[in-house]
Amino acid sequence: MSLLDIRNISVRFGGVHALEEVSLNLNQGEILGLIGPNGAGKTTMLRVITGVVQPNHGEIDLEGEMLNNLSIPARVRKGLGFAQQLVRPFREMTLAENVALAAGAEQTKHPWRSMFRVDRREALRESLKWLAMVGIENAADSYPNAVPLGYLKRMEVARVLALRPRMLLLDEPLAGLNQVEATAFADILVELNSQGQTILLIEHNLAEVRRICSRLVVLDNGCKLAEGSPETVLKQPAVLEAYIGQGTVHAEN
Amino acid sequence: MGYEISLLTFMGISIIGSLSLNLITGFCGQVSLGHVAFVGMGAYTASILTKADTPFFVALLAGMLLAGSFGVMVGLASLRVRHDFLAITTMGVNFVFLGVVREQEWLGGELGVSSIPDPGLGKLGFLALVLGCVILVALLSLQIRRSWMGYVFEAVSGDEDTARMLGLDVSRYKLIAFALGTALAGLSGGLYAHHVRFIFPDSFAFVESITLLAMVVIGGNGSILGVIVASALLSVLPQWFQFIGDYKLLLYGSLLFVVMRFSPGGLAGLAKYIFPKSKKSFGLKENR
Amino acid sequence: MLYLELFLQGLLQGSIYALVAVGLTLVYGLLRILHVAHAGLYTLGGYFGVLVFNSTGSLMLSGIVAMFGVGILGVIIYRLCYEAILDQPPYVPLIASIGLFIAMEELYRILFGSYGISYTNPPLQQMLPLGGMYLREGEWVTILVSIILIGGLAWLSSRTRLGLAWRATVTDPQMAESFGIDPIRVRYFNFFIGSALAGTAGMIVGILNNLVEPTMGSVPSYKALAIIVLGGLGSVRGTLVAALMLGVVESFGTIYLGNVLNRDAIAFVFLILVLMVRPQGMFRGV
Repeated sequence: MSLLDIRNISVRFGGVHALEEVSLNLNQGEILGLIGPNGAGKTTMLRVITGVVQPNHGEIDLEGEMLNNLSIPARVRKGLGFAQQLVRPFREMTLAENVALAAGAEQTKHPWRSMFRVDRREALRESLKWLAMVGIENAADSYPNAVPLGYLKRMEVARVLALRPRMLLLDEPLAGLNQVEATAFADILVELNSQGQTILLIEHNLAEVRRICSRLVVLDNGCKLAEGSPETVLKQPAVLEAYIGQGTVHAEN
Repeated sequence: MGYEISLLTFMGISIIGSLSLNLITGFCGQVSLGHVAFVGMGAYTASILTKADTPFFVALLAGMLLAGSFGVMVGLASLRVRHDFLAITTMGVNFVFLGVVREQEWLGGELGVSSIPDPGLGKLGFLALVLGCVILVALLSLQIRRSWMGYVFEAVSGDEDTARMLGLDVSRYKLIAFALGTALAGLSGGLYAHHVRFIFPDSFAFVESITLLAMVVIGGNGSILGVIVASALLSVLPQWFQFIGDYKLLLYGSLLFVVMRFSPGGLAGLAKYIFPKSKKSFGLKENR
Repeated sequence: MLYLELFLQGLLQGSIYALVAVGLTLVYGLLRILHVAHAGLYTLGGYFGVLVFNSTGSLMLSGIVAMFGVGILGVIIYRLCYEAILDQPPYVPLIASIGLFIAMEELYRILFGSYGISYTNPPLQQMLPLGGMYLREGEWVTILVSIILIGGLAWLSSRTRLGLAWRATVTDPQMAESFGIDPIRVRYFNFFIGSALAGTAGMIVGILNNLVEPTMGSVPSYKALAIIVLGGLGSVRGTLVAALMLGVVESFGTIYLGNVLNRDAIAFVFLILVLMVRPQGMFRGV
């Protein structure tokens, strides 16, 4: 069943076509890998979905409801959970507080009423649950500057999970991690998925993509190049060609 | 005795002014260099109204309302213009306010508004009113900081783009900060006008905005107690400095500089350095 | 003819704004500091000029002292005041800078008196008609000096190794460092050039008004901020255009709107209008 429908998206920056008539859909319960060489338009696509970039043309539907005109926070409240490529924790808050802020979405939905909601304990307790799910509950009381990058990446995912999103949109979550950390992180995604979480994953680490994704969409030069199961897609010469053209085929492949 | 009462009243009015800026700058992270314009709006509105025989408290409320409405407009600007651009825009608001007031006959032009009626509370009564307002504003600040609103403000102050990605309606929260902060600035303005009973454009010059911001920053941006202490000190400092007369401003400028240069966290930062408190925790061991 | 006159007056005022604001924009582009005390250096340039001229009678010498003396003091201010608080939130150096500026103004007042100093034998006051334009020598010199200094700055940044190092550091300090550029020296250089320009502007204004007073930096202190914001914060080209434009807008505005708004208010109404349309200023930063 299709959760997110993206139809004929075109984006132009100046005269450059960043995306041209790209359509894809995200099905309930899958891990969809969105891959392609550098500059293919993957991140632009994600930004269109979250509302950071307005498409020149095309439509984004969440279960039949059009999202195009909604603001970023409104889309997030509809169930789009987005983790950015560069970790951006709130540095003045502990990891638990970072996550609890997201867990308290109900408290912060109405700005004026939020002035009279004081109790944060419930949200903090819940944040521990999410931190445990990504395996960093031992760092709950630490400040972001005191933990390694891998922890912050996991915290970002925990923070998005705390929003109880209907889908996770992840932009290169494995970037900057070593292979052991990357595998561990990918395993967490598989675990989440097995509990029913729908995931859209942009990733350069093709070994992990091949291992965990149920379906792939390949972008190249702003156009959709291929779509299908990892085995069939990664066998296509055109896909390999696109990666060679950019010289970004990873050594581990 | 009269002098002390007057000094305390002035101190209280300054505290209301700086706490109101603290909501915007300290809590929500939107640096404003023109806050005194809203104090001025409150002062002018309230005094024009009481001179036209409007009851004092109604005039005070009207001043808050007007300042708050203009504050929302600046808040709308803050949705478009950010960071240093916003700081300079708010500075511009201060100069435009002064420019408009100076040229308006019915606002008294350069001469300002004089013989503002006595609210009729007596000196002590007025001081009690001001202190009551200080307590209310301080309680409001405390409530905001410990509530979820304060939590969101902290996030907006830290990184507003990420706050949006967490589904927080950053725009509306910012507007609330501006609305509350500027309305309370209007309150301090109305009180000020009826305390000194004579206002003119220079009472709301750019340097006064800097003084308010200095109170917030020297107190320790966001720290309620720090801001109260800093504004109490800074508002009466010029009076104490009378004895060094000629060197008053030199000392004031140097003080701003020295505090920022050597204790950028302000008084609150200094206090934290001298009395390091155990970190807030909820039953979990510190990681390292 | 009135229009042309107003336009020219505006450009003249604008070129003085430009000399002050360029230094500010250089500092902002490199360090993200709103360096209000820059206007204090501008005033100091005025004092250096008038004091040296009155005791030696040499315009050349006073110009050199105003330029280099103020330039070196700018470097010292960076070293002693800003270096330690660069990693603080932006309002920290801003307040520090405002404090410094207030203290500087007061120091000048205490040292040199509150009524200011005039040139005993005012230089460059003759009227000099050129191309049908009647301006004082000093005003022609202002235009000439602005063109030479800003042209020189453009040449320096685009045609020399130093300029390359400078631009690299502004774009990406870490990248510049890996090319062997010493970022600290670039900062010194930056403060030196910016402050020297401000010192020169101060001296010129001192000559034009034949008066140097402790508060002459007050208006430039905030107006230069408005200009660099209009220009896009950190864009030198933007700052130049904004400075000239603001000079012209003010000069026409005071004639046609003078009874509604004063000069400062006109400048800031213009600023706010521009920012509402273009929130990042007229030009993108560097």
